[in-house]
Amino acid sequence: MSDFLNYVILGIPFGCVFALVAVGLVLTYKTSGVFNLAFGAQAYVSAAVFYNTVTNHDWPLLPGFIVAVFVVAPLVGLILERFLFRHLRTAPAIAKLVTSLGLLIAIPEIVKLLPDFDFLQSSVFNPPTIWPNPFAYYHFGDYVLDGNQVATIISTVAAVLFLTALFRWTTIGLQMRAVVESPRMTELAGINADRVSAFSWMLSSTFAGLAGVLLAPLFAQLAAPNFTILLIAAIAAAAFGRLTSIPLAFLGGILLGVAQGVLGGYLPSDSILANGLRPSLPFVVLFLLLLFWPGLRTRSEIVDPLSGVDPPPPGLAAAQRMRALTYATWALGAVVVLGGLYVALFVVSSFWLLIITKAVIFSLIFLSITVITGMAGQISLCQASFAAVGAAGTAQLASHFGFPVLLTMVIGAAMAAVVGGLLAIPALRLGGIFLALATIAFAFMFDSIFVPLDWVSGGLLPTKVPRPTFLGSDRTFLLFALGVLTVVAIGVILVRKGTTGRYLDALRGSETAATAIGINPARARVIAFALSAGIAGLGGGLLTLQENQANFAGNYAPLFGFLWLVIVVTLGSRTVEGAVQAGFAFAFVPEILKALGLSPAYQFILFGLGAITYARHPEGIVEYNKRRSLDAVQRFLTRGRTPPPGAPGERVVAPTPAPAGVGTARVGNPGAPS
Amino acid sequence: MRGRRGVAGLASLVVAAGVLAAVVPASAGADAPTQQFPPVNQPGVTQTEINVGGVASKTNPLGGDYAGAFNGVKAYFDMVNSSKDKGVYGRKLNLSVENDDQVSQNRQEIQSLIDGNVFAVLPVSVLLFTGADLLGQSGIPTFGWNINAEWGSEQAPGPQNLFGEKGSYLCFTCPSQLVPWLAQKVKAKKIGVLAYSVPQSADCAKGLQAAFDKYPSAKIEFLDTSLAFGVTDLSNDVQQMKDKGVDFVTTCMDNNGTLTLAKEMKKQGLNAKQYLPNAYNQKFVEENAPFFQGSYALTFFTPFEVKQKPKGLKDYQKWMKKNNYEQNENSMAGWINADQFVTGLREAGPDFTRQKVVDAINAEKNFTANGLLAGIDWSVAHQGEQPQGCNVISKIENGKFVPSFGQPGKPFVCLQLNPLPDKLQSQPTVEA
Repeated sequence: MSDFLNYVILGIPFGCVFALVAVGLVLTYKTSGVFNLAFGAQAYVSAAVFYNTVTNHDWPLLPGFIVAVFVVAPLVGLILERFLFRHLRTAPAIAKLVTSLGLLIAIPEIVKLLPDFDFLQSSVFNPPTIWPNPFAYYHFGDYVLDGNQVATIISTVAAVLFLTALFRWTTIGLQMRAVVESPRMTELAGINADRVSAFSWMLSSTFAGLAGVLLAPLFAQLAAPNFTILLIAAIAAAAFGRLTSIPLAFLGGILLGVAQGVLGGYLPSDSILANGLRPSLPFVVLFLLLLFWPGLRTRSEIVDPLSGVDPPPPGLAAAQRMRALTYATWALGAVVVLGGLYVALFVVSSFWLLIITKAVIFSLIFLSITVITGMAGQISLCQASFAAVGAAGTAQLASHFGFPVLLTMVIGAAMAAVVGGLLAIPALRLGGIFLALATIAFAFMFDSIFVPLDWVSGGLLPTKVPRPTFLGSDRTFLLFALGVLTVVAIGVILVRKGTTGRYLDALRGSETAATAIGINPARARVIAFALSAGIAGLGGGLLTLQENQANFAGNYAPLFGFLWLVIVVTLGSRTVEGAVQAGFAFAFVPEILKALGLSPAYQFILFGLGAITYARHPEGIVEYNKRRSLDAVQRFLTRGRTPPPGAPGERVVAPTPAPAGVGTARVGNPGAPS
Repeated sequence: MRGRRGVAGLASLVVAAGVLAAVVPASAGADAPTQQFPPVNQPGVTQTEINVGGVASKTNPLGGDYAGAFNGVKAYFDMVNSSKDKGVYGRKLNLSVENDDQVSQNRQEIQSLIDGNVFAVLPVSVLLFTGADLLGQSGIPTFGWNINAEWGSEQAPGPQNLFGEKGSYLCFTCPSQLVPWLAQKVKAKKIGVLAYSVPQSADCAKGLQAAFDKYPSAKIEFLDTSLAFGVTDLSNDVQQMKDKGVDFVTTCMDNNGTLTLAKEMKKQGLNAKQYLPNAYNQKFVEENAPFFQGSYALTFFTPFEVKQKPKGLKDYQKWMKKNNYEQNENSMAGWINADQFVTGLREAGPDFTRQKVVDAINAEKNFTANGLLAGIDWSVAHQGEQPQGCNVISKIENGKFVPSFGQPGKPFVCLQLNPLPDKLQSQPTVEA
């Protein structure tokens, strides 16, 4: 018993770390309706400012702390609200989540480019603590705390008390919640929603800044990924608080810290169980909470009751253009593809051949996002893990069991599809951001539990996978990859036009109405999830063949999945061509930046900021601009003519309202390409 | 007769004057070397330059200074280009490509080097070396910082054209005498071993277990191989080590992990010595002096702090300073890589080819980089352990590295490695 108590007490200080981040997440969600994955990036900004002022410019601690937490952090919040989230207040939660994902990727790179912050581009050891004496230790019986731990515990408890009181007993607290529920209805009651929203963002950003300054010294180095991983680990505590209860989030954080302490104490530290469970505990807890915690199982997202009056997003450009333009587009597309193929096969060097092949393979992987996000309207952040399952299946079955490589690629894809389907069965009823969180938990669980195993990743060296003899040449392999991409793309189009696709369309429009006409939402979504996972797995297998090895750390780390989603939704998640464009952007943009003499890090800024256009243009910026160009061309072609309404082949207006944000019903010319 | 001799003498004088007239302006007035070298038809080689290219994880999430290796190579090339020979075989050495693989794009950056106009690839200083097989197949002489199993390990021998700065073969799971010997030397009795759950770190812990099983100079009382990469809370581990009386802690972790551990140990009052295989970083240790006091760090090369500096170290420090580059482990790796390349190039002869350079290096039995290394025998260094394992062990005192256990002018402590002796050597050999 005394050992147990000992482990419990040891876990409490670190529990406060989880609690601090979780309370910040809940605060942001409660006051803005945004599940702010960029919270960690905002924390990083203040930590960097604190480091710069105190360590680089020798400011005293207090002024450095005030500037970092009470000047810079609220300013960041104000900028985000004024230029971004103010315009997203009535957007679906999933659109806000994607926007925050883009910020998570872009903000740290932007900070590194600021004048006087280039020191962040190299190792930055020893972030300063706010406690005046970093070597001061305080003894409480047999237990010892350092100054920063004392500061973290005090700040966390004070924040919980302050925020609880703010929401329970103050007018501004009530107004903040009201604005999140419906800014338009709040304004009808005479409240300035813009001002309240700005205050909310400044408050939550201040909290992120406080967390950044307090938690930075936990790590030996000041680095943005540290905050991201800590944030993801702390989501479990926020989920315990149902994303809305600050006291419960605090309690969740403490319990998580205690659970880590107890596990560390009782599990034999070199056992298989410990190897799997200890690193993955926060993600396992998050996953289980999302599935079984009563407060979350039945919880619906914050949705503006007036959002139904929003106009539906327009249909795809391809579905609206004149038949002649469609044929012209096909002809142009054929010329581009054949010309590109000629150049790839007969002109370019091995390096550019590798880049083109990589683009083709990632186009295939990104088709999985087209299925799950573009068709099913769900956000999955574990596509990299599905690709990893396919890669592992391909590599291990080929190298250890001697199966033919092409067969193992298909088996690997099937394994990924099964994993995706099994994940979907319990998770799909969550929907929206809760499903997204479940996929984050799965991605990190997979990475912590399975990837370190030798029989998955190969141990010290990636498992080698020789290509079949007939694919030995890189140019032949490109043709093979193109063939696979074409087959899968046609498959995706057929699924979209088939029963499952139409069911998913209907479900996106109105789940209640769809269910009323006999559509089984669970079945349709499980199929979509499994199909998406299978495509990602096939892509993982293909990538393994291209590289002759299954390279997990370099290709399938969980955070890659975040970047993939951001790129696809930026360019267009609803169409096959959107996935292909995203694949080529993923492979070529770093090379273009390099050719321009710019740091490859700019790609994160480019794609990150691109993702914030998702809420306004859920069809993707390429599709959006395509529609604008199409309008201009059609206006030009039809000048002086007034076509009869509904004439065949002429422009068709989308007749079916659909919710803003994710997808819309496909309409118009049935012969139009996808 | 006299007249004939006189004419002959005059003719000799005229010829001598003519030769002088031809030679003196060339040697006195121009920078170009006088010796003519045969043309070489190799990628990246012109009549005036030998171009090489490298790749480093400059942009990486861990924040390590991997790009420092570029500076080491450039400083070495600067030294060679400034010598009386003005380069090698009348050609200046030029690091013409510095690629950043951003960790995940190693393969494509290496492919660009293979396609590009470079004679050799150096330095390779990367977190993930996923393009190693491309370099192996290409036959291009390649030199880099050996921290990846792809250079050669117990899982697979390394390609013959890949040369790490401390040899290529690293055995992660093999027992060695070093840590048990050090534990005995510092009179440690109870050992704590901490490692991440990722393969390379966990395998390193297996190697330590095997070492103490074979040489039980002390007992492993606490072993944790389940730490998450980036873990920040080690309170539980430290308390358990404290309860078990651990007096020597060895880790298979990066600097982030060892610092977190050192802070927690100090907080909980665990007075155990730490053995740090990856911590040779002056700034890092100086900034954290109170946490690492009395710990031991390992280097494969002669550390900067030795009193009797070998020529290689003097040159390194002179040319790094001259170019205003930071002196650290990574730039030292780049310097040694460049030295190895130039040594191979010179041994290959003026009509050098890539293959001749590779063959010349593989024939070397004792490459020391002018005293920076204890010696690499390249006839075994790709596929197996060398007869002796030689390292410099430095004690950390007041934030400084103090080379220990060696002798003046002989800092390396060498213990038999292949074959391993049955009993722990009581006395290692020391080498320059």
